[in-house]
Amino acid sequence: MTLVFQSLRKEYGEVVAIDDVSTAFAPGMIHGVIGPNGAGKSTLINMTAGSYTVSSGSITLDGKRLDKLKKYQIANSGIARTYQNIRLFDQMTVIENLEVCFYPAEVAGTWKEVVWPPYATARRQRRREKCMEILRFFDLQGYAEVDAGGLPYGRQRMLEIARALICNPRVLLLDEPAAGLNHHETADLTAKLTALRSPDRIMIVVEHDMDLVMTLCDSIIVMHHGKLLFRGTPAEVQASADVQLAYLGTANDIDDIRAAAQDRRAQLGIRTRRRS
Amino acid sequence: MLGNLIQQTVNALTIGSIYALIALGYTMVYGVLRMINFAHGEMFMLGAYVAFLLLSMLVGDVGMAGAIALAMAFVIAIFLVGAVGVGIERVAYKPLRNSTRLAPMLSSLGVSLSLVTGIQILAGPQPVAFPSFFPVVRYEVMGGTITSMQIGILVAAFVLMFGLHFLVTRSRIGIIVRAVSESRPTAQLLGINVNGAISMVFFVGPLLGAAGGILYASYYGIMSPTMGAVIGLKAFTAAILGGIGSIPGAMLGAFILAFVEVGGTALLPVITHGVLGTEYRDVLTFAILILVLLVRPAGILGEAVSEESVVYKREF
Amino acid sequence: MSVAEARTAVRPRSSRIVPLLVFAITIALIVATPFLPNYYVRVVNSLLIYILLGIGLNIVIGYTGLLDLGFVAFYAVGAYTYALLASPQFDLHLPFLLILVIAACLGAITGILLGIPVLRLRGDYLAIVTLGFGEIIRIIINNLDWLTGGPQGIARLDKASILGLQIARPVDFFWLLLVVVVVAGVVAWRLEHSILGKAWAAIREDQDAARGVGINTTNAKLAAFATSATIGSIAGAIFGASQRFVSPESFTLQESVLIVLMIVVGGIGNILGIVAGAAILILLPEVLREFAEWRILFLGLLMIFLIIVRPAGIVPRSFGPEKLIRGLFGK
Repeated sequence: MTLVFQSLRKEYGEVVAIDDVSTAFAPGMIHGVIGPNGAGKSTLINMTAGSYTVSSGSITLDGKRLDKLKKYQIANSGIARTYQNIRLFDQMTVIENLEVCFYPAEVAGTWKEVVWPPYATARRQRRREKCMEILRFFDLQGYAEVDAGGLPYGRQRMLEIARALICNPRVLLLDEPAAGLNHHETADLTAKLTALRSPDRIMIVVEHDMDLVMTLCDSIIVMHHGKLLFRGTPAEVQASADVQLAYLGTANDIDDIRAAAQDRRAQLGIRTRRRS
Repeated sequence: MLGNLIQQTVNALTIGSIYALIALGYTMVYGVLRMINFAHGEMFMLGAYVAFLLLSMLVGDVGMAGAIALAMAFVIAIFLVGAVGVGIERVAYKPLRNSTRLAPMLSSLGVSLSLVTGIQILAGPQPVAFPSFFPVVRYEVMGGTITSMQIGILVAAFVLMFGLHFLVTRSRIGIIVRAVSESRPTAQLLGINVNGAISMVFFVGPLLGAAGGILYASYYGIMSPTMGAVIGLKAFTAAILGGIGSIPGAMLGAFILAFVEVGGTALLPVITHGVLGTEYRDVLTFAILILVLLVRPAGILGEAVSEESVVYKREF
Repeated sequence: MSVAEARTAVRPRSSRIVPLLVFAITIALIVATPFLPNYYVRVVNSLLIYILLGIGLNIVIGYTGLLDLGFVAFYAVGAYTYALLASPQFDLHLPFLLILVIAACLGAITGILLGIPVLRLRGDYLAIVTLGFGEIIRIIINNLDWLTGGPQGIARLDKASILGLQIARPVDFFWLLLVVVVVAGVVAWRLEHSILGKAWAAIREDQDAARGVGINTTNAKLAAFATSATIGSIAGAIFGASQRFVSPESFTLQESVLIVLMIVVGGIGNILGIVAGAAILILLPEVLREFAEWRILFLGLLMIFLIIVRPAGIVPRSFGPEKLIRGLFGK
């Protein structure tokens, strides 16, 4: 079971946001996606989840094409996500935020729920038990009946991950889960995400917090200007010269700057100290 | 045939210029506040009533000569309605500026209801004959008939529209208004007087709408308290058609709508062999509105906002 | 006793007072209505019809967050269904209950037909398009003389009867409407709490995130539109039967606006709010009858005032039917 990107491309008019990305994600692992701002990390997540359309290329899960499906169909194929800017259902309670995820499985029984109260109660009970289980895992059980919009920021992040997990997705896409969290919360998040690693789940994390990525992920891909620049284990990524350049500027940039500086100094008559 | 064509073209231009005057108000308010001002049609109605009142005062009580009285009534009426527009914004919309998107729209529905019934109480619910603001002379042009009234309306409307164009593109206040419609938060951060810009929009919009109302009432020789509703909806359609928020778009949309309407009214009974008569003209308008919104919600000159870049959050 | 203790001691009782009061007033009204003069019974009936319409429209506006300004179209569909199937117009005289079922189905179908093209739109655009649809239906009714009788409308509609029991007097309609309103209210309330209702709420809160959790938003919205249209259409059929006359006059934009207002004034998304909103907007003009035309002006101004002062409506969101029931039985 793998998630495969094949020659993936995304254009916004003239701008190419994702340029010919081909890679595969294996289950049982946490995959990190890193890269400078504007490298196309979030675009990748958004295309996988169906929030953005794919310009060309394909996304497949177990050989099943995802990129032609509608967003809700993609979600129902077992892809769940969180958002860079938290997007909860603010005026619904915490537990309702999770309950609503059972819609695809349970909507067919709506009329029975309406006319036959015992059925509705039983079903609701079952739903809520599952939800409480997840809430307990994320230490949110005390907030079950609070409006989601009223939760503290860190809790909202946790709830969003809980919402993504409730239907036991095969692919979990996390878009900057640690953004805005303090040290304690980030440590807590790392522990929780590590515990969520499961042999039949693909986890993909887009993140700027390098400590988190390096401790959490088994495999990392580095994006740069919409292209896949490097792929490897955290150790390999840290050792890679290419990756360092992607974050610090390209080799050419540095040479250019050095040359320009030298010219300027020559003009001003400052003698460049020769390096020994 | 040619004469008929010319005549219909002039008819469409006349109606189109009136629609344009009203559509401008919708588009400017939407541009600045992202709000549909349901009471804007009533500014149109108010224009006609205020002008009528002024005219009867100027001619009857003051004994002013006809032509001067007409000009004065026109100018005073549109400025008065502009002031009313600013007042309404202060009272009914401003307190809701940080509320949901729906709240000011509902409030404008309340304003609309109040204005219509207010005028009904003051002037009676029946339609009233409206004096012609232009001497009616008929000209024969290649077999078609054009009236001096139509020419007068076109000239008045175009003068006002060019005035607006000048105000928006050249004047300081115009630049401020444009900055605020680009992004209200940014304008605010830059220390721009956002309230001033909004007041300006609520002055100019109703002013143009009132002018449209006077010209319209004068063209058809009649006014009624409910005349704003359908015309307002049509002007709104024009604004959407051209791309809401865009000032040239509103004018373009108004003329396109007018041509479709005039053409449709002439052709509908012919095409459908009399099954659909001219009374379905309004249906045609709404059909266009719905079609545009479905096919190209940004309108003709509006910025195409891709669905992907818009974050939909709750609106009320 | 400390202040805190006093507060906790008083609170359970005060939270019961309001529900008990509401319940008492409702019961008193229901018991008293049959003994009122016909004129007042008619007023109560019109109140019940508006509550029914409010319950229907609230599904779309309050639960799903879609501003529908053309709701009166469905009301018209129901009324004309009754008028065409139980009048000399085509000399059809179907039984009332059958027409009610037909009206419900036609309502649902119109709801879906209107819904399919417009549901891609959201917010203000949806508002203006539904408003356009409402007007289109009114114009068609006005001009399709052979079918609808045009501006004159259709008169001399049959007297309604259910299983041989004639429903003609205002009091009869009062009982019928009461039953229908209660049933519709319960159905709407249970729908709100069903899984579909939760999906509606999710769409209202954030449509895109709702898709992200696997909700087919188009279908869920169509379900909301259809349910709401069904209730509107049933209200229309009963209205037709009670007036025994229909004309386009009853289905103007103002009616749509009035129903939206009821919901907003009472409290969006809350059935108890709708009842309160309807009571204010329908009964107040009756109280102010002497001032004739002034009352609508007053309504308009009241609306602006209420939206500014109480944008969330007069009944708080938390005070729903659950709270009422809990308060009554002391749970």
